[in-house]
Order: sequence, then structure tokens, then C-alpha cells
Amino acid sequence: MAQAFAVETHGLTKRYSTGVLAVDNLDLRVRTGEVYGFLGPNGAGKTTTLRLLSGLLRPTTGSATVAGAAPGSPASLARMGAMVETPAFYPYLSGRDNLRVVAGYASLPKSRIEPVLKQVDLTDRARHKFKTYSTGMKQRLGVAAALLKGPDLLILDEPTSGLDPQGTIEMRALIKELKQGGRTVLLSSHLLNEVELTCDRVGVIAKGKLVAEGTVDELRARSGGIALLVRATPLDQARRLLESLLKPEQVRVEAGAFVLSVDPSQAASINRRLVSDGIDVSELRISEQSLEDLFLQLTENPPGVTG
Amino acid sequence: MIASFSAESLKARKRWANWILIGILLAWILLLIYLTFFLVVTLSPKSIQGPIPASVLKRRLFPENFVPSVLNAGSSIGAAIMLIFGALSTASEFGWLTVQTILIQKPTRAAVLGGKLLLLGVATLLVGVAMFAAAALASYAAVTLDGSSSAWPTLEVMLKGFGALVLQLAVWTAFGAFLGIAFRSAAAAIGGGLVYLFVGEALLGGLFRNTPIVKEVLKFLPGINADGVNAAFPVTIRDTGATTQLVSTGRGVLTLLIYLVVFSILSLLIFQRRDVGGS
Repeated sequence: MAQAFAVETHGLTKRYSTGVLAVDNLDLRVRTGEVYGFLGPNGAGKTTTLRLLSGLLRPTTGSATVAGAAPGSPASLARMGAMVETPAFYPYLSGRDNLRVVAGYASLPKSRIEPVLKQVDLTDRARHKFKTYSTGMKQRLGVAAALLKGPDLLILDEPTSGLDPQGTIEMRALIKELKQGGRTVLLSSHLLNEVELTCDRVGVIAKGKLVAEGTVDELRARSGGIALLVRATPLDQARRLLESLLKPEQVRVEAGAFVLSVDPSQAASINRRLVSDGIDVSELRISEQSLEDLFLQLTENPPGVTG
Repeated sequence: MIASFSAESLKARKRWANWILIGILLAWILLLIYLTFFLVVTLSPKSIQGPIPASVLKRRLFPENFVPSVLNAGSSIGAAIMLIFGALSTASEFGWLTVQTILIQKPTRAAVLGGKLLLLGVATLLVGVAMFAAAALASYAAVTLDGSSSAWPTLEVMLKGFGALVLQLAVWTAFGAFLGIAFRSAAAAIGGGLVYLFVGEALLGGLFRNTPIVKEVLKFLPGINADGVNAAFPVTIRDTGATTQLVSTGRGVLTLLIYLVVFSILSLLIFQRRDVGGS
């Protein structure tokens, strides 16, 4: 793909006939070859955005370029594969026949079907009817259909939705595998942990607006850097010491522990000071909650969004 | 559009509901229209028979009358079956959300619907052939069992009759497909279509047929126009139940053709413009 961006939107807006503003002036750029996580709570506008990018919905205002062409145009569709909202197939057809139907619409040779079935590990169940499939198998068939065209751009809407832990792990591994060969993957999720494990960059959407974008580390930095979690007693003595060592705004208490907005490299020196002042330190680690905090902060009270 | 047609034909072939519908239609023709009528006329005691002798009534079932018989089936049970067939073929795509799976492949929306309508057209043609063959076979069996003789209609009559049958079936299929796209629900499309067919047009049309204003409206309805077309193929015996046709055969054919085109264009316009998914 020659373009710098596999997906690019300018002021993309979708207001439904019911008056609901689902996507609000969205400017999104997904770089070619990256795995981009589209993160937001349920109802934030993720699926609507993906529908707009797939040409299933028409924008109220704004524009988009997907795989180098207008969304929904044959040129764009020929270079992208997508699974939007839910894997939707004919219940009375087998998995293999469903892929034959999809290949038929896309004017693809039937020889493409077996390799993608193998890739998603569905060969053994391909002759069984879709209606007998488990959620995980349905998701994998959805991915297989999206892969049939050998697309440059893959759009996956909540690909681990409804999967059990084993299925989730397998799907994540598959997504990482799909990235090989320079393919761009745009996946939506409401699970922070998922995008953290699979994505190069993340866009956070809330109430239809893109409220943050960057790598996971950039977003962490935006939340005040990677935090240190310190559990120490006595609490008051520890607080006084920490506030004297750091700026007061760098110290906050959550659930009986201190969350310190400092570089993790300071962990050893902070630990030494606490211990030398006779304070017992029972836990000291890098906080894994910082990105989640930012996510909650952005999505519950997004900047520039009211109501 | 050819790619879409190919995909549509695979879906249609493997869908049991389609075969069940065709089975019901053929069973209706063979068992109800021919076998039951033949047994009733043959076996009922002379004391309960009407003014027309059984030997004359039976001629309705013979080859000389198989074209009007199959046309009669086409505009009643055939209309209902094809309406359901058309509605299922489009509305199910919305119910299963497969419409979005289709639309994110390569073809344009027009090509997708064009392929579907082409498949429905071919299927209608094949259903017409099956109905014609079933009626011809049953009429041959009837005359053979009775030991009578009956002349087959001329080739011209058979071809015109086949054309009339396929035209009527195509209109009801297109109507069903249009309702399926408009309602995006198989239940609503089939329910609405059948209520129109059996209550709106058949029942009310029958009750108020002689009311001047209603009569003028009826002249524009597909069922009434189909009756006008069927009237060009009268049975060879005196038909005591026949009603006066409101439209001529020519007008009937023209009106049905207009309906076929209008339902197809409306389906295309809605399918092209409407958002898929979301609220």
C-alpha cells in the first residue's frame, strides 16, 4: 500500500435519523502497517465509525479515505476485509459454503477458501452448519471471511467479544500473526488490556469524539507518567514523607495505597527513604492502573464533550 | 452482477425453505386441484351432484383445460408462495445481518441487488416450468384414469399461458422482495403481503367489486389485472362461477409489467440509499 495512512477521516460525523449523534467530527488516521486499537466504552461510537469506514452507513458530514478510496467503493472494498459488529453468516450453510458465498460476491477463486480456514483453525469444522458453531468459531469464521481477499487493511470490530479466555488468547495470537507482511489492522475494543497487548497505537473515543490518540506509552505519559504503587504503614507518616520528597500533586491515595506519579527509576530511592524513616513498606510496584485511569477519565468526562 | 448471481444461486439452492415452498405449491396443484377434485367428482353419489354432470365437470381436469387450471393456481396459491419466496430472499438478509457481510465484499449495492433479482427471475421461471409440468402431468393422468379423450392446447396457447403464468409469479415475487427490503423483517413482509393478497385484494375486492369507486381502484391492483390476463384462457366447459373481468387482457399484461418494473426499481432505490445497521 503506497499511502501513508490506510484510513484517514476528516470531520467524520454521523447523526442518525433518530437524532442520536453517534460520531462527532472525527479525525482519525491509521498508519499503513500498524495495528490500531479503537478503544472506547460501549455506545461510544466505535461500531458506527467502522460501519462508516466500511460503507454500510453514509456520513452526515465529513469524509473518509479507506485503503486509498472512498468508503464502500469497489476500489476500497477490494483492498479491505472487515468483520463489523458480529460475524453474520447464513445459519443453514456450512462454514465452507458461507465462505464460498463470500468468495462468490468478491469474485475470488474458491482456492482461497481452504488456506484461510486453515489459518483460523476451522478446517475440521468447516463442513458443519454455521448455526452449530460456538461463539469462538463464529468469530474465527468472521476473521476468515475478512481474510479471503488477502486484504491490505483488516477491520475487526470487538474480535474477542464473547470469547472464553482460551479463545481470547488464540484470537490475540491470530491478530498478531495477521500483522505480519505489512498488513494494517484496525480493531475496536472496549477492553483496555486487549489493545494494550495487541496494538501499536490507540485511539480513544468517547461520545463520538476522539479524545486521545497515541502509543500505549504515550498515553501512559499523558496520564502523568508510569506511576508507582506503594503500600506503607503508618499511613500518615508515610504520606508526610512522600509529600516532602515529591510534589503534593504527585501523591494520591487509592484504596489504602499511595499512587506516585514518578519515574519508576525512583522506586529504589523512595523505598530506602521510607525504610530509613522507620516506615514499613509491604508493597512497591509499577502501577498497572495508570492507563485504565486515563481511559476512565477520558471516557467518563472527555475534554470538550458535554452531556 | 454475475458474481452476485452465482453467490445467490448457491444460497437459494441450499436453503430448505425454498424447496419446501416449491413442494407445497406442487403438492397443492397435484393433490388439491387435481386429485381431490377428481375423487370428489368421480366418487360422489349422483344424488348430491349439481346441475352439471360429473362427466362434464371432470373435463376441467383434462389436458384441454390444464392451462387455465395452472393459471388459476398461479394467481392464488402461486401468488402467496412466490410472495413468501421473494420476501424471504431479501428480508432474511436483514434478519441474519448477512446484508452487511455481502455489502463489504467488492460489488456495488446495485450489483448485489441486481444479482438477487436475476436469481429470483430465474427461480420464478423454473417454478413456472415445474407448475406447468405438474399440471400437464396431472391432467394427462386424469384423462387416462377416466378413459376419456381430450386434446392438448395448441403450442401457441401453451406458450402464451406459460408467459402469463411467469409474469404473474414474477410480479408477486418482486412484491415480496420489495416488502422484504422495505420492512427488513421476514415476518412483517410476509404477514403484510399475505394480508394484502387475501384480505385487501381478494376479500374486499370480492365484496365491493360492484361498488363504483372501489371498482375503479380495483382496476389498478395486480390481482385483478392477473384475473384479466387469465380470462384470455377460458375453460372449455360452461363456468358457472366465472365473474365479469374488470380489465382486458392487454391492460392486465401491461399493468403487471409496470408493477414488475416499479417493484424492482423501488427495491433498488431503497437498497441503494438506506443505511445498513445502526439506529
